[in-house]
Amino acid sequence: MLSNWLPFLFYALFAAAIPASMIALSFLLPKRPVARTRQKLLPFESGVSEGPPDRERRFTISFYLTAILFILFDIEVVFLYPLAVRLEELGWFGVGELAVFIGILAVAFVYVWRKGALRWS
Amino acid sequence: MTQRVDWWVSLLQAFVVINIVMGGFAYLTLAERKVMGRMQLRYGPNRVGPYGLLQPIADLVKLLHKESFRPAAAIDWLYLLGPFLAAFTALATFSVIPFGPGWEIAGVYVPGQVADLDIALILIFAIGSIGAYGFIVGGWASDSKYALLGAMRTCAQLVSYEVALALSVLGVVIMAGSLSLTEIVAAQADSTWYVLPQIVGFLVFLLAGTAETSRAPFDLPEAEQELVAGYHTEYGGMRFGLYSMAEYINLITLSGLCVTLFLGGWHGIGFTPDWLAPAWFVAKVAVLLYVFIWMRTTLPRLRYDQLMRFGWKVLLPVATLNAVVTAILVVAL
Repeated sequence: MLSNWLPFLFYALFAAAIPASMIALSFLLPKRPVARTRQKLLPFESGVSEGPPDRERRFTISFYLTAILFILFDIEVVFLYPLAVRLEELGWFGVGELAVFIGILAVAFVYVWRKGALRWS
Repeated sequence: MTQRVDWWVSLLQAFVVINIVMGGFAYLTLAERKVMGRMQLRYGPNRVGPYGLLQPIADLVKLLHKESFRPAAAIDWLYLLGPFLAAFTALATFSVIPFGPGWEIAGVYVPGQVADLDIALILIFAIGSIGAYGFIVGGWASDSKYALLGAMRTCAQLVSYEVALALSVLGVVIMAGSLSLTEIVAAQADSTWYVLPQIVGFLVFLLAGTAETSRAPFDLPEAEQELVAGYHTEYGGMRFGLYSMAEYINLITLSGLCVTLFLGGWHGIGFTPDWLAPAWFVAKVAVLLYVFIWMRTTLPRLRYDQLMRFGWKVLLPVATLNAVVTAILVVAL
């Protein structure tokens, strides 16, 4: 079973080698001397000359809400996969469990919807 | 079915397959520009080589020779890690997609996919999720207003549509009773292509997949008119090339996954000889890729609030309902 992962490992090594070599080549190949004027090293800003770094910039709360909702719903999806694989053997019991699970999820979803967490304005 | 595969066969196959994927990516960029050109009543690239066929190679050489600079405020190693992560995760996922039944060549067994894993489907979603880091790390490390905004948008979009994407596949998993892509293909050969009973799942998968690969009409992450270039604003040369590569290879993998899950994988219509299986697979993937290009030229871009609303309030409930209905029907019949 574990030996099935060996081909994946080979493939992943190639998949890592290609971008790594390309990044390395992007340092080695360009011949032109790098002109390091101050203007050029500034982050792109059309027309406005400069400003403070904005890494600490604040964002709309919606982005954070989306991230939290994603974690909630995606984990629920992860729980559904094992059930889905064995559903035919479990029969109606499995469907009942699925219905209860998705029912609770639906209640949460309706709550989130009514609270306006999914609204972007 | 599970035959022993020699390690050197795997190594060789991995090397060949990844090069085919890279070649596919290179010519997908050309095909897209050609098709888009024709749809917009112009020629597209036709100067480098016959019919512009050497254009991708010229592009690669050009990108590799571009001056490599970065903004002074960028965090160096994260700035380089971004494109690496994006390209690596995009490339790595293709390894589990089956493109043939497996062949006996000169007494050596060559499997129909690089890695036959029981949890191939989960692996694809898992690695795909790591890919989102490539975009947000790159955009954040650039320390540019536009890159940061683009990265935030990209991330929110990717995570929103990932839920719908994962749920849309649930119906297929219930019908096939397996997470292994080879078994899902085999199950489709026994019954019917899942695009028929899972038409809703197929459509949700296609739409969510378009958003996952940030293709038009869901190409908000790089909405030129608002964000300059989105998360890769501060990237140039091959670092930009890697992001572009990640996007196109994600598209190829997504099409391959769609073919595997819904369109019967490498099985053709009627009897398929074993040696013809990859041709069927490539043909189906090509048709899907054409549809993606077609969509890009046809549909205007959504607004960001429309995009989020569509993902959460339409695709997610529809995909969930589809899974429940499938579950009831599978057990009842």
